Amino acid sequence: MRNLRLKSTSRRLLLVAGFAGLPLTSAVAHEGHHVECNETAINALKADIQAVGEGEAKTTATKELEAAQQMMAMNDMEGCKSHIHSAMEATEK
Amino acid sequence: MLRWSAGSPWALVAGALLVLVGAAAVAIYAGLYNIAADVPHPQPIYWLYETVRDRSVAARARDIVPTDLDDANRISTGAGLYAEMCSGCHLAPGMKRTEISRGLYPRAPELRRPTDLTPAEQFWIVKHGVKMSGMPAWGITHDDELLWDVVAFVRTLPELTPEQYETLVKNAPIHEELMQEMETKQSGHHE
Repeated sequence: MRNLRLKSTSRRLLLVAGFAGLPLTSAVAHEGHHVECNETAINALKADIQAVGEGEAKTTATKELEAAQQMMAMNDMEGCKSHIHSAMEATEK
Repeated sequence: MLRWSAGSPWALVAGALLVLVGAAAVAIYAGLYNIAADVPHPQPIYWLYETVRDRSVAARARDIVPTDLDDANRISTGAGLYAEMCSGCHLAPGMKRTEISRGLYPRAPELRRPTDLTPAEQFWIVKHGVKMSGMPAWGITHDDELLWDVVAFVRTLPELTPEQYETLVKNAPIHEELMQEMETKQSGHHE
């Protein structure tokens, strides 16, 4: 009886641990492309673009950054995030 | 002979220069320029920084003669050193950006990308570091042989797949042993 209770407790513990680990795994999976639209993100992107050598990637990233800044000025946060994402992708090429 | 009367062009130039120097002094003293690493330099300042850095490195690396960079042992040793000393900031094939690489300003160049730098320039940078960039002077703790190993490896980096990189690092000599070997060699020279 006691053995059975122990087994079910440890199963529950395993289940809880499994579920607790889920959000962490998903956060790590999205780490590479987690995007926010604010002054810090725009500045970080500017710094990334400065480090990219002259070429198509830099031109694309700069255009996307300008578009993101315009969207932010118009309070279109989703549009801004989308352009930041595209700019990030261009800098990673 | 120059005439310094109040209305002369020289007096105007000198006056303008004085005003500029004074304005710069006030701006510096008042802390107007933001040195935060999360706010990038305006493009002209960044251009000036890059130009000063690149010209300085080129001028100082002119007389450095590279050793055999195709040597497989050199590349293997360099792989281990790179993984320990450099990859945190300069990343590697298949590696995601690290927290430090995202926070450094100016950004540390990703060395998986091809570069315009010559081997001599890369050696100079690894040995002496770069002021106000986060790049340390590895020459203080490592001898030239080990630094050339790093350069030899860095030259091959853009051609490596993530798997090849992993294999090279896994099979590389251990850093501590290399350092011990270097210290033994150096103490031998001093005796």
